[in-house]
Amino acid sequence: MKKWYLLFTAAAVFATAPVSNVRAGEIDILLDKLVDKGVLTAGEARQIAAETKEDVRKEVAAGKSDTLPKWVQNTKLKGDFRLRYQMDHAKSSHNQTKNRQRGRIRVRLGLESKVNEKLLVAVGMATGLNEYTTSNKDTIRSTNQTLGASWSKKPFNLDYAYAKYTPMPGFAVIGGKMLLKDAIWEPGDLMWDTDITPEGVAFDFARNVNSDMSVFLKSGFFLLEEISSSNDDPYSIHIQPGMDVKIADGISLRASVAADYFRVRDFTLKGSSVSNTGSYKSGDNSYAVPMANYTNIMPALELKFSDPFKAFHINVPQLRLFGEYVRNFADIDPYSGKSGYMLGFGLGADKVAKFGDWVLKYNYARLEKNAVLDILPDSDRYEGKTNIRAHEIALDFGLGENTWLGFDIYRAQLLTAPRAPSTVVQVDWNMKF
Amino acid sequence: MRVQKSILCAAAAIFLASAAPCYAGKVVVEGSTTVLPIAQRAAEVFMDDNPQVEISVRGGGSGVGIASLLAGTCDIADSSRPIKEKELEDAVSRGKDPKANVIAMDGIAVIVNPSNPVKSLTKKQLKDIYTGKISSWSALGGSGPIVAVSRDSSSGTFEAFGELALDKEKVRPDALMEASNQAVASVVAKTPGAIGYVGIGYINDSVKALELNGVYPSKETVLRNRYALSRPLFMYTNGKPDGDCKSFLDFIMSKQGQILVEKEGYIPLGG
Repeated sequence: MKKWYLLFTAAAVFATAPVSNVRAGEIDILLDKLVDKGVLTAGEARQIAAETKEDVRKEVAAGKSDTLPKWVQNTKLKGDFRLRYQMDHAKSSHNQTKNRQRGRIRVRLGLESKVNEKLLVAVGMATGLNEYTTSNKDTIRSTNQTLGASWSKKPFNLDYAYAKYTPMPGFAVIGGKMLLKDAIWEPGDLMWDTDITPEGVAFDFARNVNSDMSVFLKSGFFLLEEISSSNDDPYSIHIQPGMDVKIADGISLRASVAADYFRVRDFTLKGSSVSNTGSYKSGDNSYAVPMANYTNIMPALELKFSDPFKAFHINVPQLRLFGEYVRNFADIDPYSGKSGYMLGFGLGADKVAKFGDWVLKYNYARLEKNAVLDILPDSDRYEGKTNIRAHEIALDFGLGENTWLGFDIYRAQLLTAPRAPSTVVQVDWNMKF
Repeated sequence: MRVQKSILCAAAAIFLASAAPCYAGKVVVEGSTTVLPIAQRAAEVFMDDNPQVEISVRGGGSGVGIASLLAGTCDIADSSRPIKEKELEDAVSRGKDPKANVIAMDGIAVIVNPSNPVKSLTKKQLKDIYTGKISSWSALGGSGPIVAVSRDSSSGTFEAFGELALDKEKVRPDALMEASNQAVASVVAKTPGAIGYVGIGYINDSVKALELNGVYPSKETVLRNRYALSRPLFMYTNGKPDGDCKSFLDFIMSKQGQILVEKEGYIPLGG
């Protein structure tokens, strides 16, 4: 009886003390006394201490749940700000040098909210142009905003808005204007600029085969334009099976083959310009009209090594090697080239999270004139054009929690004369919140 | 009509099976790789004595186990850490009630070769040794270079040591990585300048266990919460365990179950 009385007293101390006043030291002293008196064994005391602390934490969580409205608990806000200095150094077709210096910003704000256990809605806003203009060499997929224009107010547009339904673990349906990573996987950005937010519906499936292997299938149907005067619109279809394999301790592989079909022939694409480099015919308002439907096959591979230089006593957390190849099987101008590839590596931390973390990245890309639709590639690499080859080297260095410096250099030129080489240097200060 | 009844019966069976998995003769255990050996061994012995119950045990890590418990895809979540604040809030929002059941203690002893004159380290000195800031015993009252011996990165002991001793910093790249507690003890026993870490159950006469912050590693100091490199091991259930889940947990906490805990190198709570 005495034992139960003392146990009850100990439990009551935990349960009734205000959470901020629950001090592990005092609890342990009380339990120690019970152990000394032979009321409890040391094991029982540890069990009671650990389990009761967990019960108290649960009560606190339940309390929070009672005080905060449900929609607040189910909603997350996130965002980031990037301040950029950019220098463009280009040689024109007449071998004249042109330098351009810019201050640029990027702001992104995102909100996601759980509607219920299986349904999530996300909305994001970002800086960037909402339409291609020939006076600005940025493309519509960029989220950069160049500073200037007499301090004018800058556009802040809808970047993404989608619903994600997960009826079972490992399978999701996403509809709306979605994040690229939900619809497509690519280790580099040979074909897809990572700022692209596809519009349509995507299906994301993943399943573990065993503890060392899993498979995935990403697929989607995307709308490219809506033509009010016609019931026939351009669209694209994406199918991408892939797998993740743990090859050995600290070595993993991700591989996939993507197939994309773009039904674009004779349609005006607002994201494409006649000044771009694919095989187009001129449309209205300087927009381009592709001369064929594009059918791309893109195998891609990524190998990751943890602690790769351990044998040499050099502490580098990760080495990432990747490669991708793309070919367009469209019936279009066979002499101007329809394939491309990218090879690259990343060295350093998995992500830059604190002061001193660093990541060094390099890639070489070669993209022939009609390899991919030129509404897709990285807008920083030769203004997002095809018919190019380019080196990119980038270094991110952590300044503190959620903030880092980035240095990025692109050296690119056209594959055909005039080569018109271009160098772009970007110095970024990134902040995430 | 017969078809309709069959469908209704099947639906009812599926509903009952999913609503009360612990009563369905099957218990799914998932989570921490540290707790995995205890769960596996206990399940084998429990199923021998209770052939009508099937216990399925999977690893995956503490986070995976707790996520599965909250999603309702496992009955018991093994965890080598307390449930996180975010996981608790998630549980409350889903109407789940994760109940902590402590089944054992995990304690890690720091060992050196018996010829080493060093008897005690502070936690900071230990961290500095394993992160490469201290490379010679001369800075600690001994002599000669330090040979750091570690468990390989796939072991639960490695994970626990990283959290409890190194504040999640990386082990120095020149550390020798060994596949078992016995292998660590063996290397330390043969190498004069070596330092290693093993489960407290693996201390033997061929090595010398060091005091940490003035406390010697033993079952007693772990259970009395004196020794720094120790932590409770949990099996979380959704609410108070009942049915086959309760029977299985009762078995682990029984004298027979706690003997299995000790045999796997962990510290039993009693029984």
